[in-house]
Amino acid sequence: MQTLYVEGNSPMHRLSPRVKLLSLTAFAILLFITDNLLLLSGAVLVTAVLYGTIGLPPGDALRRLRPIFVTIAVVALFNFVFNPWQAALVPLLRLTALMLLAAAVTATTSITEFIDEVTALARPLERTGRVQADDIGLALGLVLRFVPDIVDRYRAIREAHRARGLKVRPTSLLAPLIILTLKDADNVAAAIDARGIRRHGS
Amino acid sequence: MSTRDLVLAALFAAIIVALGLLPPISLGFIPVPITAQSLGVMMAGVVLGARRGAIAVLIVLLLVAIGLPVLSGGRGGLAIFASPTAGFLVGWIFGAFVTGYLSERLVDDKQSGLVQTVSFFLAAMIGGVVVLYAFGITYLATAAGMGFPKAFLGSMAFIPGDVIKAFVAALLGRAVMVGYPLLPARA
Repeated sequence: MQTLYVEGNSPMHRLSPRVKLLSLTAFAILLFITDNLLLLSGAVLVTAVLYGTIGLPPGDALRRLRPIFVTIAVVALFNFVFNPWQAALVPLLRLTALMLLAAAVTATTSITEFIDEVTALARPLERTGRVQADDIGLALGLVLRFVPDIVDRYRAIREAHRARGLKVRPTSLLAPLIILTLKDADNVAAAIDARGIRRHGS
Repeated sequence: MSTRDLVLAALFAAIIVALGLLPPISLGFIPVPITAQSLGVMMAGVVLGARRGAIAVLIVLLLVAIGLPVLSGGRGGLAIFASPTAGFLVGWIFGAFVTGYLSERLVDDKQSGLVQTVSFFLAAMIGGVVVLYAFGITYLATAAGMGFPKAFLGSMAFIPGDVIKAFVAALLGRAVMVGYPLLPARA
């Protein structure tokens, strides 16, 4: 699976992930407080320039954001038809600026940095006794490890259906896929416990 | 949470991600392709129950947030949460939780197959449609500036597809209940 991280050494890359995530949160709050079209246009301009400096080729940079921008544009178009133009322009600018800054943070922060940051954020929750911060990294790792296996298994079940002349229907494919996959859970859990990976695990 | 519950949630998250890689499933009897990922959210509830189901969905959203293209069509990254439909994504967590909670309460293995299927369908409808749309429409109405009546009307176009998904989820919930029951052993 190709991550959306882009190698580079731009100013955005050098900022600490915590600063980037906190700034993104603060920026989102500010964007939703103001209705001023001038300020919002300025925000779009600044975030567009910022997104431009992270070192993605312009074609790729645009391609990444196309599906999100299309949804923003469709909703804005709908708003233009039914609401006064100011009311339609505000969310368009607001969400576009937010999208650009969020995309810049995603492109300049590696998966490892993100996982470390999320783990650090969850650390205080450990005191409630319900969350183990290290479990987050473990769970994410498990997902990435098993996705290719599941895709292979889906293909195998589909082929088995075809070979027997059965109709390939979602209900008949998904049930065995889910059952077979979840049956692995016991083995995986036993392996994790046997290696003592979750020291605090119960 | 036991290691087994953690692994179950992670494996189900992997199933939801894998469903996004597969081409949309066409149902045959109606010409609507099913984007399997939102079906995955209902399935997480009916198969794993409230807590594990919600955690499975949370793991998927965490993968999105850290920049992996795990949503259908290779979408991912924090920018997804800036889209006007982000309320539906956040609603996934609560949708899976409510679907799971209702499934745990309504379904037990002594019931007949029909009662189980109908109960799973109700759970998936309330969690995966009512709760999900409550979040999605609220965000669309406020943050995207659409206003409630229009956001509501605009979203209605997707309801028929989601009713079918709830039905498919109910059949799957019942099938897994027979083949490998996880729901009775609540997390």
